[in-house]
Amino acid sequence: MAVQNYVQTIARTLMEEMRRDERVVVLGEDVGKRGGVFLATEHLYDTFGPDRVIDTPLSEAAIIGAAIGMSVHGRRPVAEIQFSDYVYPGFDQLVSQAAKLRYRSGGAFTAPMVVRMPAGGGVKGGHHHSQNPEAHFVHTPGLQVVYPSTPSDAKGCLKTAIRGDDPVVFLEPKRLYRAVKEDVSDDVDFTLPSGSGVRRREGDDVVLISYGASMGETLKAADTLSEQGIAADVIDLRWLMPWDERLVLERVAAVGRVVLVSEATHSASMISEVAATIAEEVLDMLEAPPLRVSGFDTPYPYAQDRVYLPGPNRILHAVQQVLDY
Amino acid sequence: MITDAQRFQPFSEEPIRLIDEGGAWVAPFSCDLDDDTLIGLYRHMVLGRMVDERLVRLQRLGKSSFVAPSSGHEAAQVGIAAALRVGRDWVFPYYRDTALALALGWPLEEMLGQMMGTRADPARARQMPAHPGSRALNMFTVASPIASHVPVAVGTAIAQKLAGAGDATVCTFGDGATSEGDWHAGVNFASAQGAPIVFACENNRYAISVDLQHQTGSPNVAAKAHAYGMPGYLVDGMDVLASYLVMRDVMAAARDGLGPALVELTVYRYGPHSTADDDSVYRSGEEVAAWRERDPIPRYRRFLEAREVWSDAREDELRAALKAEIDVAVKASDDAGPVPVEWMFDDVLSRPTPQLERQRERFRAARRAAGEDVEG
Repeated sequence: MAVQNYVQTIARTLMEEMRRDERVVVLGEDVGKRGGVFLATEHLYDTFGPDRVIDTPLSEAAIIGAAIGMSVHGRRPVAEIQFSDYVYPGFDQLVSQAAKLRYRSGGAFTAPMVVRMPAGGGVKGGHHHSQNPEAHFVHTPGLQVVYPSTPSDAKGCLKTAIRGDDPVVFLEPKRLYRAVKEDVSDDVDFTLPSGSGVRRREGDDVVLISYGASMGETLKAADTLSEQGIAADVIDLRWLMPWDERLVLERVAAVGRVVLVSEATHSASMISEVAATIAEEVLDMLEAPPLRVSGFDTPYPYAQDRVYLPGPNRILHAVQQVLDY
Repeated sequence: MITDAQRFQPFSEEPIRLIDEGGAWVAPFSCDLDDDTLIGLYRHMVLGRMVDERLVRLQRLGKSSFVAPSSGHEAAQVGIAAALRVGRDWVFPYYRDTALALALGWPLEEMLGQMMGTRADPARARQMPAHPGSRALNMFTVASPIASHVPVAVGTAIAQKLAGAGDATVCTFGDGATSEGDWHAGVNFASAQGAPIVFACENNRYAISVDLQHQTGSPNVAAKAHAYGMPGYLVDGMDVLASYLVMRDVMAAARDGLGPALVELTVYRYGPHSTADDDSVYRSGEEVAAWRERDPIPRYRRFLEAREVWSDAREDELRAALKAEIDVAVKASDDAGPVPVEWMFDDVLSRPTPQLERQRERFRAARRAAGEDVEG
């Protein structure tokens, strides 16, 4: 075990995977000599050289498009988009090319690749350095989407993504890059299955469901509830497509009250999808309507950076509503 | 021996041409192709034309929903195909590459299966017609968004460079594609990497209705290569020998590690943009007729006849043989029948998600409730 933060874990996991499989290549802006603007690709260039750690032109379409073409030719590319807010010039590559490649060719061509993107707010970056784009990708059949919230999960999910046979959008909560350190397994084959969620707390009074950057605030809220004698069951989805329906429905049916938390824009969000599924599948087990605590249907604000996020107070308020229902 | 790179000059003002409108060889060097190769090029051009005409008829009969006519592009497409080593090099075609795909060896039955959306399509009838693809031929599956395949082709070429096996990639597109951001993103990246790729523009002067003057202020497409630090060749794409030999040379250069090139093949599309288009709105019948006079197939036939390797009798024999092949393939594709409904749920990801499995179950239940045969 080694104590390391999130971004160190990304860099070390990439190092392990590149050592394990020479097909793995890394490409993106500043990923080479600079080691990435967040240092998520630190030391890779010195270790593997410019053929496997490719500093690209400043073009997200070129980065994602080339990753697809390399994967078609047998490589296992891990592309970095410097901020998820900059993915849109490469959006067509993800949506029209990568996501539909297996389907449109009847399985003849596939794109086993990972696109890593720092996402989420709380870094005083304004709307172009703070957004949570996961719903775009969950809404696009043919992509897997994962948004791990801890260093250990990041390791296990990144390895699963690199070793799998699908294009994976790998979102990283950038405000947690250096905020949390934990013991991370040294096991070079530590993987976490695609589509697996995890229970962070066990409790029978209310289920809190979240993922990615919002997990921190959700756990803080659960701790406060615990001090008040309210036992929250906390589920970290981790994988957003596919997502762990079995775990969610089982716990929500058992507890009967649920609050869903995500800092992403409110309408047509990932947690909206989870809430709709809960309503369709286990409505008769519910004691209260599922409530969403989310970002708002505004562009991400600069001055109100922190209050836009669903902090513990908003979460606690929603919990009180479902308990009082 | 003059090297290939020396034989043709990039950035010429007039298109590179080896045979004139009358079919006479006009180049300052001799033709180094043997008779079988010369006749093979002709056979593929005629095949492309006959299939294209047949496809338009099949569309009118309701057997296909869409055709992007390729007549007029045959010399360029057959020339490109001939420059590829099938199974080693890669090709990223666009939707108008009927003759190219056939010249690479795409089986007629698979092609017609794709056009007719039947079980004869190895891609399981997932795409609208005019979207070829074949893993066996290293022919990437076409996507509709214009130029979106250009950065992908560059990625494959970079992977070829890393593999070091001396293979190369061709990426084709029309003139309209050169206005897309993805085109520039891809061409620029290829240049920065020295990737072994040839960008082949089949410039037919129209992006649906928008003519070249409204598409770009560049003097021609080949000139755009200047800015990217690669040679740009302007070629008469209605001259199959010029198309082939220029493509052959630039592909050899790419395989030798000399980096990417842009080749503009000037062509004319005789049909509308697609079977959903009315081209009489934006171009005159006189203009089309004038280009018909310059048809690449009779032009090349005159070349072959002057060399005494072609005759009326051989022409009749070829057309009869190709017609029979096409008839057999049309029937086989038709007889293969429609694809099963539930194939639509397959091949989304490497494994079906629980979410999709649930949707499929509900779909099945609704069909059963409506009295439908859920196995069909």
